[in-house]
Amino acid sequence: MEFIKRIGNSIEKHFDHNALCINNTFYTYRDFAIAVSKIRTAIIDRIADSEKIIGLVTNDDLETYASIIALWLEGKAYVPVNPSTPLERNIKIFELTETKYVIDSSETSIYNDYEVIVSTNLTDTIIDLIPKACLGDQLAYILFTSGTTGLPKGVPITFDNVGSLVNAIDAEPEFNLVASDRCLQMFELTFDFSVVTYLFPILSGACMYTIPKNAIKYFYIFKLIIEQKLTVLTMVPSIINYLRPYFSEINTPDVRYCSFGGGALHNDIAKEWSDCLPNCKIFNYYGPTEFTVYSGFYPYHKITNQKAHNGIIAIGTPHKDTTYLIVNEKNEEVSVDTTGELCLSGPQMTSGYWKNEKRNSQSFFTRSENGKEVKYYKTGDLCFKDQEGDFLYVGRADFQVKIRGYRVELAEIEFHAKTGADKKNNIVALDIYNNLGNAELGLVIESEKFDVEQLFDYMKKKMPNYMIPTHVRFVKEFPHSINGKIDRKELRKYFQHK
Amino acid sequence: MNKEEILLKVEEAFVVVLEHKNFKLTDDTTANDVDGWESITHMMIISEIEKVFNIKFKLMDLMNMNNVGDLIKTIQSEL
Repeated sequence: MEFIKRIGNSIEKHFDHNALCINNTFYTYRDFAIAVSKIRTAIIDRIADSEKIIGLVTNDDLETYASIIALWLEGKAYVPVNPSTPLERNIKIFELTETKYVIDSSETSIYNDYEVIVSTNLTDTIIDLIPKACLGDQLAYILFTSGTTGLPKGVPITFDNVGSLVNAIDAEPEFNLVASDRCLQMFELTFDFSVVTYLFPILSGACMYTIPKNAIKYFYIFKLIIEQKLTVLTMVPSIINYLRPYFSEINTPDVRYCSFGGGALHNDIAKEWSDCLPNCKIFNYYGPTEFTVYSGFYPYHKITNQKAHNGIIAIGTPHKDTTYLIVNEKNEEVSVDTTGELCLSGPQMTSGYWKNEKRNSQSFFTRSENGKEVKYYKTGDLCFKDQEGDFLYVGRADFQVKIRGYRVELAEIEFHAKTGADKKNNIVALDIYNNLGNAELGLVIESEKFDVEQLFDYMKKKMPNYMIPTHVRFVKEFPHSINGKIDRKELRKYFQHK
Repeated sequence: MNKEEILLKVEEAFVVVLEHKNFKLTDDTTANDVDGWESITHMMIISEIEKVFNIKFKLMDLMNMNNVGDLIKTIQSEL
């Protein structure tokens, strides 16, 4: 694979540059190469060639990043699991992917039923960054997102998918990282946005700055921007929502690029943020996990480029080799300016959800174009295309919501809440907005008030932290709309007053 | 306002945001000691405290705040 060869070359070329800054400790690309090579040797020695899918516990350390590259050099895929996510959910992910081996840098690994490679305790070896030959249709990673049935949904991404993402970003003249760049890497490695925040810095020999797990994220990011003079920021919009009250104190001329993704970017805050970064290009990226992180972007500019719909910045146009199509309920293309579901086609598209035929038949369809059958992925995002060919975001077609950039199916929260409740209560999960403009989760239970500690203990065993509701309300009888459905809009009102 | 009075009001702000009272705040208390106190709720707590005391924190102070003791000192300096 061409891009893996390039990763090896870049690491070697930049041996004396910093690769990572983790909790104030710097590691050079030489340190990185040594860690990669040690882990690679352990993989060769201990994992059978036929085992292609390997678990990875995502700690915030050199070894975890090195493990990804070591696995890729050996033509294997990583399945990341976050150490702070309930063990039961992580085990479920390993079961679904039939993972037998886990690379873990934790002091004590809790994956007792698996063959664990402790990545911090390996013997020295010679540096070897030349990739083993492997086919492009082999997997590079599998990420899991919230599913509607209570089971997380796996999205497998191949080396060809990642290679196509690299080609598309390379083809974009507006965005070029260089070895002297200092880049923010604020994402959990279980979140697909992280792929662009580690891959592109490594390909250019730039340095990544991570966020320690126990830090107050927002202030730590600001500290890095100020003290380490970061030049490239990649963030979810919720970060600047929280920093907004302090914008008047922020003026950071070193930042060259600021990319947003993973949620709606609002026009008013983008303009204010842009004033804090006088020398910066702002990109509003769009793309689902199913399409290898990014599928396109809109180049925002506070004066010349601020196209928006209902205050939400445009998602612009698809990048190289990607096609956008807006369809109606029958999967037929609709005309310009008409809202429909956005569908994507191109080489970055996943081959389909992991072992989930039912879901695949709902989310993918083929269409005849110029005598060829072309496969499309249905994003669930409602959009329209304007006269100039830009795409604009309108809303969701279902009950999926974004919490701090993470995709959350409200149905999955409701499933676990109902299962965990003593009595068989009616329970509804809602996304509600706090006074800083960010979405939080609320849970409404149809019942007299009761102690929810046990229910929450249950939910915390089943779902990651970002899926646990932060507000609870009891309603004696749920309001219903005329057609008999629970009136979610009416329930939302219970969260307006404390 | 003395330190005890400040602490009492700070505790109230924590209760409003976290929706529980299962904590005791001292100078050394950090986010690791209180259930639900993490990045997001921290921002909500700060915003609530600014409202209750009618003050505005500086980003530089917030950036270097490590425990409840630091928080109270900063509030005192703003009052």
